[in-house]
Amino acid sequence: MSEVYALEVRKVTKTFPGVRALDEVNLRLKPGEVHALLGENGAGKSTLIKIITGIQPPDSGELLIGGEPRSLSSAHEATKAGIGVVHQERNVIADFTVAENITLGNTPTKAGRVDWKEMRAGAQRVLDLLDFPIDPDTPTSLLSPAQTQLVEIARGLYADSAVLLLDEPTASISENESDLLFTVVHKLAAQGKAILFVSHKLEEVFAHCDTVTVFRDGKVVAESAPLADYTRDSIVDLLVGRTLAKLDVPERNPSREGAPALELRSVSSSAGHRDVSFRVHPGEILGLYGLVGAGRSELAEALLGLTRITSGEVLVNGAPVTIRSVGDALRTHGIGYVTEDRKAAGLFLDQTVEKNLTVTVLKRLSNALGVVRARSSRETADEYISSLDIKVSGRDQLVGLLSGGNQQKVSLGKWLAADTGILIIDEPTVGIDVRTKGAFYQLIWALAEAGKAVMVISSDLAETVTLVDRIAVMQDFAITGIVDNTHDYESMSKSVIRLIHDEPISSVEVQR
Amino acid sequence: MKRSTTIGGVVSDNRFGLVVLIAVIVIAIGAIKPMFYSPQFVVGPMLTSIAIFTVVGLAQMVVLSVGQMNLAVGGMAAVGAMVAGIVFQAFDAPLIVGLVVGLAAGGLIGALCGVIIAYGGVNSFVVTLAMSFALLGLVPTVYGWVSVGSAITVQTPGLSDLGRSQLSDVCFGDTCGPDGIPVLLFVTLIAMLVIWFLFSKLRVGREILLTGSNDKAALLSAIPVPRRILTVHTLSGALAALAGFMLGASTGSFTPAIGQEFMLQSFLGPILGGTLLAGGFVSIVGTFLGIALTVVIRQGLLLFGVGLEGLNILLGLILLIALSADRIRHVVGQRARLQATRRSDTMIAEEVTA
Amino acid sequence: MKARLGAALRTQNTSLAAVIIVGTIVLAIQSQGGFLAPISIRTFFEFLAIPIIIGLAQMATLAVGQMNLAVGAIGGFASCAAAILVADAGLPGWLGGILAILIGLAAGLVNGLLVVLTQINGFVVTLATMTILAGAQYAMVGTRTIQASAWPELQAIGTAYPLGVPLIFWLALIIAIALAFAYRHTLVARQMLASGGNPLAARLSGISNNRSLVAAHGLSGLLCGVAAFIVLCSLPGSNKSIGGDWLLSSFAAPIIGGVSLVGGTVAVLGTVLAAMVVRLVDSARAAFQLDPSWVNLVIGAVVLGTVALDRVRTRRPSATRGRRRPPADAPPTAALRTVERGAGA
Repeated sequence: MSEVYALEVRKVTKTFPGVRALDEVNLRLKPGEVHALLGENGAGKSTLIKIITGIQPPDSGELLIGGEPRSLSSAHEATKAGIGVVHQERNVIADFTVAENITLGNTPTKAGRVDWKEMRAGAQRVLDLLDFPIDPDTPTSLLSPAQTQLVEIARGLYADSAVLLLDEPTASISENESDLLFTVVHKLAAQGKAILFVSHKLEEVFAHCDTVTVFRDGKVVAESAPLADYTRDSIVDLLVGRTLAKLDVPERNPSREGAPALELRSVSSSAGHRDVSFRVHPGEILGLYGLVGAGRSELAEALLGLTRITSGEVLVNGAPVTIRSVGDALRTHGIGYVTEDRKAAGLFLDQTVEKNLTVTVLKRLSNALGVVRARSSRETADEYISSLDIKVSGRDQLVGLLSGGNQQKVSLGKWLAADTGILIIDEPTVGIDVRTKGAFYQLIWALAEAGKAVMVISSDLAETVTLVDRIAVMQDFAITGIVDNTHDYESMSKSVIRLIHDEPISSVEVQR
Repeated sequence: MKRSTTIGGVVSDNRFGLVVLIAVIVIAIGAIKPMFYSPQFVVGPMLTSIAIFTVVGLAQMVVLSVGQMNLAVGGMAAVGAMVAGIVFQAFDAPLIVGLVVGLAAGGLIGALCGVIIAYGGVNSFVVTLAMSFALLGLVPTVYGWVSVGSAITVQTPGLSDLGRSQLSDVCFGDTCGPDGIPVLLFVTLIAMLVIWFLFSKLRVGREILLTGSNDKAALLSAIPVPRRILTVHTLSGALAALAGFMLGASTGSFTPAIGQEFMLQSFLGPILGGTLLAGGFVSIVGTFLGIALTVVIRQGLLLFGVGLEGLNILLGLILLIALSADRIRHVVGQRARLQATRRSDTMIAEEVTA
Repeated sequence: MKARLGAALRTQNTSLAAVIIVGTIVLAIQSQGGFLAPISIRTFFEFLAIPIIIGLAQMATLAVGQMNLAVGAIGGFASCAAAILVADAGLPGWLGGILAILIGLAAGLVNGLLVVLTQINGFVVTLATMTILAGAQYAMVGTRTIQASAWPELQAIGTAYPLGVPLIFWLALIIAIALAFAYRHTLVARQMLASGGNPLAARLSGISNNRSLVAAHGLSGLLCGVAAFIVLCSLPGSNKSIGGDWLLSSFAAPIIGGVSLVGGTVAVLGTVLAAMVVRLVDSARAAFQLDPSWVNLVIGAVVLGTVALDRVRTRRPSATRGRRRPPADAPPTAALRTVERGAGA
């Protein structure tokens, strides 16, 4: 007996210049199923999502929706074929009402005019199906991100989607809101919708999903398998492969004597931080772990003077400081920050590698008249190209053309050139292949050995447990606890999760 | 300014294409109307126009470098000329003093725009649009107060030498310079040199270009972004004032009409020359060549009896064709692709085409 | 529940209306009632028609996040082309009037198509077409002024004063009302607003941003054509200077009227009121015998003030970037049914 799958991917391959993003991948999604799609960034997950949602065609292989082979040439075609997507970033028209957003693209008309009554009624029908008690005439601009997300789900329902693809839905919403989301998800599954759930939060996946497909390096290493067959550890193994497991964490004995390089005492900020306290000593690596939206990057920005610190003290090398600007942070206090999103905020993609690597040290490379010493600039660039093993044809290559790993090296390199005593690295290995990840970890350990105080912000628990000496857990703009790192994933993840949920782990129930 | 280092690179470089185009047009026109080569009647006035409009183009180019624009170049030019004229008239000041004060006036107006843009967070299009409105009102009013017949004509020593004499009037002993090359061109060359030095050698210039490339990354890389934006607008105002001064010097009188023709040319020059609207890359030589092309065409059309209107039609078409060709040829190539998703103030909304 | 944006626009409209009322009173007092005399009222509204239409023309492109630098050039070109066709080629006046409108529409569509096909920035495209059309306008009429006596039927429209107010003003008002209706109730216009508000979301929902861009530019050109029509009706002739000073005013009205520069909103009432305010400033200048240049100075300052105030007052919440915390006036999450731990779905 052959089942009709809501969505089936058969031997899909997609190659980009120089890299095979997808290698004959398969996936089967049944109606009523909540199917987790797991994979590191760069593993092929996003490429498959683009193919399923019609944004890109596969090079070979088939896509079957409701049993019928379909070739999708646009996002709109995908929607018409029954694929509803809720992206990571919110995609609504702020000035429209909830009803108009729900019916966007399928606006009901009567005699050539917009039929507001039918729009409202249709939107209400869908909102009722979701048990989402919001007035359809509410302006969408007033909604929270979580509520907006539900509107997008409602939009998918209104368009009669049989398949709903949720891309990192809990990335920027609070815990309460996540609970509501999952209730909706299970309701939809009970109604026969097929849900494809993309996430990197294993706790959520285990709590709410039925089946799982795992990607690694463009291949499917677990295909549409029942989640009950796996443990967290076995999934992590699949995700990262042996290469990482083989990595030997070096003997680290950071001394915590003497004044900390960076200390925060009860710091609150205008961004919403409350009573944040921690210390980082020279030679130490502190991990700042939390889910996206916890306020970690915002804390870094406060430390750079970009948001106001409203109370508490920041001390650098034991002395209280007030940091007014990024320049102040860098030159007066020696604080460097490798940004989370390298393309948007870390790199100058249309400029050369040299210009990117030297940007933080231009003053040092210039003479008294303000002229940049060309030779010093070239030498600095070459130094970091070689020490970081950045694969470029030359220092004049445009950074936008480099691979993700090499781009990240440039992003890090520009701060190494600044030689700051304190270095904050935000999501060091996002979008980087597994091999390069290991190289980055070695690099960060070396930086600590050289005496720098390093703070690693990460939402990847496996990475944090591998890399850092102590883990500070941030949740909702406050530090919930700081623990020493034993480098054992099982026990550390228990402690960390406990700190995030603020309760003993055994009482987290599966919401069905 | 990067020079392409391969033959293929040179040939596909915007600037090479412009040089070829200009050469072809000059030869073609000269073949039909040999009068085109007359130093006194054609070449001289043409180079004077190129000199003035290149400075106008530079005034816009420096703002384009951060992905913004200055719609008030005309007004700032008028202010610069007016203030210089007033200084000459009221204080009988020497040439250099009037020039410097005029530049300062333009720079001040530019700085005012820059402050509102950089520290107030207001879009450069709106700020400079509003400023151009305001100056449109201010300048004729002030002229009305200080002069009869709304024009300031002064006999400041050196002014007409600067504005109207040619190299042939510059003599060392018995050897004089060639005919047809206006002294004013050297002012332009100095300005070009200064701007080139700023962008390719000075730290401030590099930081400005990086700000244009990615202002968020610039801020997070400890570049003082608001200060750089202020610098750029101040410089733009000063350059516009310089152009206004040059125009006044070349005609012999300072009037409120100075600057009225500047806005279109201020964009045409840099755009044709390869400066990107989105910021991050400028071409000084390209701006010069772009202006040269438009002026050569205008001169040619004049010789054929075609009026100003024909010029405008042609210029508009050239702009469209040049940019379309760019798109197709990917001459600006990798840079354009890498910048394709970025905004500048000229692209108010993302141009997402389905 | 009032939309934050809607509320902002409402206060803006109220402020503008207040300014108009106060200004009218001031002028009435200053002129000892002369300002409110029938002939004065006529003149006031007569020179308000074109500013309203061109303000709406610019608003049409701003709504999709574009700008139309060719507003004056399209209007001028259309009026001169129609004038020549009537005066020289002998076309009937009424046909000339219709042609002016159609030429405007055609020019607008060309702009839109160029933007979409060449993917060149709208600023540059309309800069180029502005130059071309201005040049063509001059090429057509040279230094002539083509006398309006050639199209008496249109002039008749221009000299009609139903209820003491010029017909052309009523025309402009009707068009404004029609536009407001269209932006509220027609699908094409709603899609334009979607494309302007969030092009990505619009595209993902199957709305063609290309079509929105072309339609917006077409509408803008059409309105410029209407302005050209009004020129033929109300001005003594058509020459190369028509449209020359339209560009800046076409921006002032929508900006002061509250139209967002990033696209996605329209403010028909605000644009109309703002055009009235500008007209009042002009009247005040004449009444107090100030130099004409003062008008521009004041307008410039007001535009700047509007935008600066707007940034301070309403940091428009972008629904495309997840905010970390819900805004203060969001429907409280608690009001939505929350899941109690352990409770069934």
